[in-house]
Amino acid sequence: MRYAKRTETAVARSSGSALWRRMSTRYDLYLMLLLPTAYYLIFQYAPMYGMQIAFKNFIAAKGIGGSPWVGLDQFTQFFDSYYFWRLIRNTLSISVFSLIFAFPVPILLALLINEIGSSRFKRWVQNVTYIPHFISLVVVVGMLGIFLDGDHGFVNQLLKEAGLPAVSFLQSPGWFKPILILSNIWQTMGFSSIIYIAALSGIDPAQYEAAMIDGASRLQRVRHVSLPGILPTMTILFILEIGHLMNVGFEKILLMQNQLNMESSDVIATFVYRVGIQQAQYSYTAAVGLFNAVINFILLIAVNWAARRRGGASLW
Amino acid sequence: MQVSPKIAILGAALLVAASLTGCAGGGGNNSNSDNGSSAGPASASSGSSGEAAGSKQPITLTMLAQRSGQNGPYKDMLVFQEYEKKTNIHVEWTDVPASGFAEKKNLVFASNELPDAFFKAGITPTEAIKYGTSGMLMPLEDLIAKDAPNISKLFEQYPEVLKALTAPDGHIYALSDIVTLDNARIGLKPWINRQWLQKLGLKEPTTTDELLNVLRAFRDNDPNGNGQKDEIPILAADLGSLVGGISGSFGLQNQMGYHINVDDEGKVKVWLADDRYKQMLMYLHQLYQEKLLDNEIISQDQPTWLSKLNSGKVGMFYIQEGAAFEKLKDQYIGTIPVKGPNGDQMVGSVAPIARSFGAFAISSVNKYPDETMKWLDYFYGDEGSIFFRFGVEGKTYHIGDDGLPYFNDDILNDPRGAGNAEGQITPYPGGGSPEWINDKNSSGINSPEGIAATERLQPYLPKKVYAAPLLDASSNDRLDNLRRDIDTYADESQAKFIVGNLSFDKWDEYVNTLKKMHLDEVEQIYQQAFDKLYK
Repeated sequence: MRYAKRTETAVARSSGSALWRRMSTRYDLYLMLLLPTAYYLIFQYAPMYGMQIAFKNFIAAKGIGGSPWVGLDQFTQFFDSYYFWRLIRNTLSISVFSLIFAFPVPILLALLINEIGSSRFKRWVQNVTYIPHFISLVVVVGMLGIFLDGDHGFVNQLLKEAGLPAVSFLQSPGWFKPILILSNIWQTMGFSSIIYIAALSGIDPAQYEAAMIDGASRLQRVRHVSLPGILPTMTILFILEIGHLMNVGFEKILLMQNQLNMESSDVIATFVYRVGIQQAQYSYTAAVGLFNAVINFILLIAVNWAARRRGGASLW
Repeated sequence: MQVSPKIAILGAALLVAASLTGCAGGGGNNSNSDNGSSAGPASASSGSSGEAAGSKQPITLTMLAQRSGQNGPYKDMLVFQEYEKKTNIHVEWTDVPASGFAEKKNLVFASNELPDAFFKAGITPTEAIKYGTSGMLMPLEDLIAKDAPNISKLFEQYPEVLKALTAPDGHIYALSDIVTLDNARIGLKPWINRQWLQKLGLKEPTTTDELLNVLRAFRDNDPNGNGQKDEIPILAADLGSLVGGISGSFGLQNQMGYHINVDDEGKVKVWLADDRYKQMLMYLHQLYQEKLLDNEIISQDQPTWLSKLNSGKVGMFYIQEGAAFEKLKDQYIGTIPVKGPNGDQMVGSVAPIARSFGAFAISSVNKYPDETMKWLDYFYGDEGSIFFRFGVEGKTYHIGDDGLPYFNDDILNDPRGAGNAEGQITPYPGGGSPEWINDKNSSGINSPEGIAATERLQPYLPKKVYAAPLLDASSNDRLDNLRRDIDTYADESQAKFIVGNLSFDKWDEYVNTLKKMHLDEVEQIYQQAFDKLYK
């Protein structure tokens, strides 16, 4: 869908009159395009006007335009801040670990589900794995709090039964990231696998039949037919994921955060919320947010460039 | 799950105090406080200071207000409905629950879509300077002189209030409440379970070591007699209120709204890197490690804490008033601060008379500043303050035998709890309203137990209490920037030291980091402010 749209505009751009012809013959499609375009312009591009406060000392009474320019002061303040490296370290490590551990899981799950013969059992597994996606985040974090409680949580009860010392999971910095990422996997793997399952079902059954005739085993069929079949989907999702690399799941981290695990739970997003929204230091946090967005942008470009060079699927 | 913003110890202490004030109100049977006048203040007072100032033309004002947990919607409050009839001024309320209020307030300022006035708004000194000097808040001093006889009178009587509210540029950008009732200014009184002491044959502890032994006995000897080791020797809502409660035993005060001691020569000392602070943290770490201190202190929320408080399993805690543990109030007695290892024995956290800064402010878009100020001034008078806190005589309150106002029984015995019932009538429960709190209008939060506890604490109160200072705009900015990192780091380290995630071997490293964050400059800024204001 996405690239279809893009190629069309790309072709259309080549000549003015050709574009006009195209637009008038397919006006219905362009009308449909109008709404999403408006959405992006109004909600994604227009607010960029306010980004200038990252280079200003924002004074509400003077408004965004009228506040005095201060150059890169806000940025230097952030780079000099005691928390700069901690924020970068946490943000990067949470996203890189998520990418390494959480990204492959839905793919594996989709491959497994695809191999299930009985369609009733298949549907059942699918339902069971994607239901956690519909549990509210606050509830999930509440459940984590109850299960992992230092004294009464069932995990610690089990540890005690086994003669191991109790661990206050949610209050130790070392456990924060594993818990966050594992519970993320539990929450999202079923739902994220849907797109791969869809891609798998789009593979021509003739290919599997041919492979079977050639004597390929189950694993070989997965390796040589299924995986290559969904590789473009994987690449695109991977690039999109990279684009969000620095946007770690803000709400969940904020909910799980406390004074004792801040060392590994404080990320750029929670910092921006705390200092910007709660302490009203808008210019400073606009600079921090902009810095974050720029890193995302650079990563996205770099990965996309690499993917295109390798000749695989890419965003543009 | 600590989503709450980082606040200074005193701030936290005040919040606790405030939330308790709100739960208060149950204990209003017979107060011992003296009141000679034969008639009730409400019926006695008259004259200019007693009249609610109105407007001939009906006026509508918009106000942004904070709604505490105990408060109902502002527009349904009897006090404001009645007041509208008296004054001909209609208030269009935007009342935002306390949990999201700070954000709403920030956004209102950031978008420059201002209401006519801010009510119970907790505008911080920093915000007052920032928005006052940029012209979003109206200077109030002339309005007060012209339209507010009650407030002017209180300023004369308590010049420290005027000092605390006046910015270096000479303007008053926001008002506070005025709390002349001592009981209400000691938000973290120590209470101990006297039944348990009796049962175990122990005396009230007077030193930190004795306290340790008493708490151990509470933990081990099953004083509640249920055969289970379920006692919580010492309970606190959060680390801030624990530290605020016990800091006096280690010679640490909470002056100027920050972690500050002021000595007799007027030298300001921020004690976050002080050895006495280390001593206190080590003591608290010991309490935590021996499970004398409730180990859920980091993760629990307010309701959990309140239910523990009323569970009958608690040996000791720090709060303002007996009404929060109404059903168990025979069990507990207000005790004295224990003497620390260096011989210090005092109440560490006492709020200034201008207790809650930023309770009221008028914005620059207000078209009727005179009327607004007159509207507000009534709540700082004899009659108006009773009206504000109690509503309408006969309907919601009556005058007791001692001449003081008391809520009617249907409110005190309300199944939702007295504090919540009162909160439907008046905004005062939860604290932080622009009002005058004195011994004549506070039966709800001035129980005999509370008065007795305050009495016992008198010898241990600091000689002077200094309010958080208002700084000039540039120092204000600088302090804001410095404290952003320092407060986060100090709060976090405090929690880690107490819980034991950070060993005391790392103390020097902690001190050095604070130095790198320019703690000395913070101290300088406060010192300069102190010299300007109080020298």
